[in-house]
Amino acid sequence: MTDTRDDYLSEHIRDQLIHDSRVNEQDLSVDVRERTVTLGGNVSTPHLRESISEVAAELLPDYEIINETRVVSSSEPDGEETVR
Amino acid sequence: MIRVAAVADVHFGTESHGVLRPKLEHLGDRADLLLIGGDLTRCGGPAEAQVLADELRGLPVPVVAVLGNHDYEANREAEVRGRLEAAGVRVLEGESVTLEVNGLRVGIAGTKGFGGGFRGAHGSDFGEPEMKAFIEHTKRLADRLGQALARLDADLRIALLHYSPIEETLVGERLEIYPFLGSYLLAEAIDSAGADLVLHGHAHRGREKGQTPGGIPVRNVAQPVIGHAYNVYTLEEHSNKSASPVGIGDAARRR
Repeated sequence: MTDTRDDYLSEHIRDQLIHDSRVNEQDLSVDVRERTVTLGGNVSTPHLRESISEVAAELLPDYEIINETRVVSSSEPDGEETVR
Repeated sequence: MIRVAAVADVHFGTESHGVLRPKLEHLGDRADLLLIGGDLTRCGGPAEAQVLADELRGLPVPVVAVLGNHDYEANREAEVRGRLEAAGVRVLEGESVTLEVNGLRVGIAGTKGFGGGFRGAHGSDFGEPEMKAFIEHTKRLADRLGQALARLDADLRIALLHYSPIEETLVGERLEIYPFLGSYLLAEAIDSAGADLVLHGHAHRGREKGQTPGGIPVRNVAQPVIGHAYNVYTLEEHSNKSASPVGIGDAARRR
């Protein structure tokens, strides 16, 4: 069963990730259940993905951090679209 | 015909050297211009903008951009703009530029845009000063976008934004945050002035394709949505959309 304090904690973590200069990312989801934090969303670089884990671990040193964020693909496009 | 390469939300940090440039190697073969729809940087630092400027310098096609909300975070947006412009990127805010491409005049009007929401659920400039400031900002930017589009003397016209003018390209985002993702006032301004294509970003979990109520194609080119360094859209001269009638006194009411 989820502790109701986890609801507030997840939003506090999300807010910290938005404002920490190592992250500054608004598009992250944070789910806290018991002693586990699961992070999701899209990030622009592998370095940023690592920074998210680092900041979360600093904030919640006694929690397990599961970083499910995904580095956005920036490959060249496959084709083009004719817009009418 | 012109080929428009477009992307938004590249969110460059100081460690982003080499993230984009290698993927732009064939840009000159695939497109005639590159448009970038805001959130160029992660937190609006000039050093971040410099990294992106270095990646964009010397490209074989013109580059035009607008800023996004992230580019305002450090309150140094003028410096962000300056770094990009020094590298040859044209940055628009309530302004326009006309480029000669393949014998066609391509006009681009740009703004960051702002939020407020959509039909039936839009915020009002009523009540607290903070709420008035929120909605008045959107109205001001939408008005300036409409005026910039209307003034363009071009064969093809493109509106470049960060925030979305329609709900359709937001599908996938949580409904609760729609008012922070865009405003119908932007679509109304575009439909009033007419355009051939609208590009925006900001909605990372949205979807790519939609259209304004007036039938103008809208593409959400946020990088997490398109999953590429850029997408390419081809436009024919005859596709030019003229202005659409809008509601009674809408433009006048905003002024």
